Amino acid sequence: MIENRDDLPTETSAFAERVAGPLRRPERLDPSFDDRLMRRVEIEAPALYARSRPNTARWWKTERVIRLSPLGAVALAAGISMFVALSTLAVGTRAWKRGATPDATASAGSAAIRSDTVNLVRFVFVDSNARRVELVGDFNEWAKGTTQLKPSGAPGVWTVSVPLSPGRHEYAFIINGSRWVTDPLAVKSSDDFGTESSVIRVGASAKSTT
Amino acid sequence: MGMPLRSHLIMSEQSDAQLIAEILDGDVESFRVLVHRHRDTCTRFAVRMLGSQADADDVLQSAFMRAYRGLAKCRDRERFGGWLYRIVVNECRTFASRQRQRELRFVNDAEVIDRAEAKKDDASAEDMSERIDFALAKLPVEQREAFLLKYVEEMSYEDMSAATGVSVPALKMRVKRASDTLRRLLEDALND
Repeated sequence: MIENRDDLPTETSAFAERVAGPLRRPERLDPSFDDRLMRRVEIEAPALYARSRPNTARWWKTERVIRLSPLGAVALAAGISMFVALSTLAVGTRAWKRGATPDATASAGSAAIRSDTVNLVRFVFVDSNARRVELVGDFNEWAKGTTQLKPSGAPGVWTVSVPLSPGRHEYAFIINGSRWVTDPLAVKSSDDFGTESSVIRVGASAKSTT
Repeated sequence: MGMPLRSHLIMSEQSDAQLIAEILDGDVESFRVLVHRHRDTCTRFAVRMLGSQADADDVLQSAFMRAYRGLAKCRDRERFGGWLYRIVVNECRTFASRQRQRELRFVNDAEVIDRAEAKKDDASAEDMSERIDFALAKLPVEQREAFLLKYVEEMSYEDMSAATGVSVPALKMRVKRASDTLRRLLEDALND
């Protein structure tokens, strides 16, 4: 007999409410809880985050005074000139290689690997009701707002091309800023916390999303 | 000593997503702010689920460490609270199941029944909370979990499903069974 919004008979629901009342009293942990936890965190932190993500932003932001002798200044200037010259040459080489390898035609699927030197992967998402589509994955630290898909011209078709390093990558789409969806055409993966994501493998021989 | 830190933490206006970005960037103290912000909402559930402050403390230490280690996998950082709750629920479930197995192995059933009967005879209003705690502890782990999330934490079935990974119909069935059992165990006492 279903009689209320909780799908419990009214009498049972009322009884449950009476039982729950005393159980709602607040509970507090020992005041030392945070400090004990943080001691453990501080032990593990260097191995988890600081070492794997060197804080380059902070390094660049930090003011430093560099003193150079006149001879050192000349050597540094020469080094910078050489770096700029080599960089220009490298960019030229890359442009030539990309020009020599035409982009692969994007598949009807969700992510197609273009066969060129930078592993440019084209992600495609189709949703005629979407107003905004974003791509998040381990390659952009799952950060919203960093990789937006753009309308391709065809109704409801959104695309973005992203350079990916070789290997396995997990990703998902965010629709209209809030709804997370996996790629319906890709292999799915579920992490320890039960969250699903899609998987793409990128490599010299990789040809598909699986 | 603790007060200035506490007021500093309370005054922090950074969103969970901003704090997580800082933690991943190596800022350990941002995790302290995150813990302070979400700890109390998890504590009541853990204490009720395990029936012990000390066990809840152990489980929450473990849950927060697990959250810290997996923080890079928290995809929707603005909904960190829900993600954390899922970890807490899982940790409590695992601990409570082990606890249950230990009890079944070492506790004499007759002794448990005697304790329940003794509580039934001692019908003062002051120990009503204790009776309810005791009756709650007699529920199977999955029913206790569902009842607490629905009636004590007052979550919707959709949020419960997200926190537990269990379907809404299954959760409704667990809540119903838990309510029926509690009613059987406590009706006389509550009607006194």
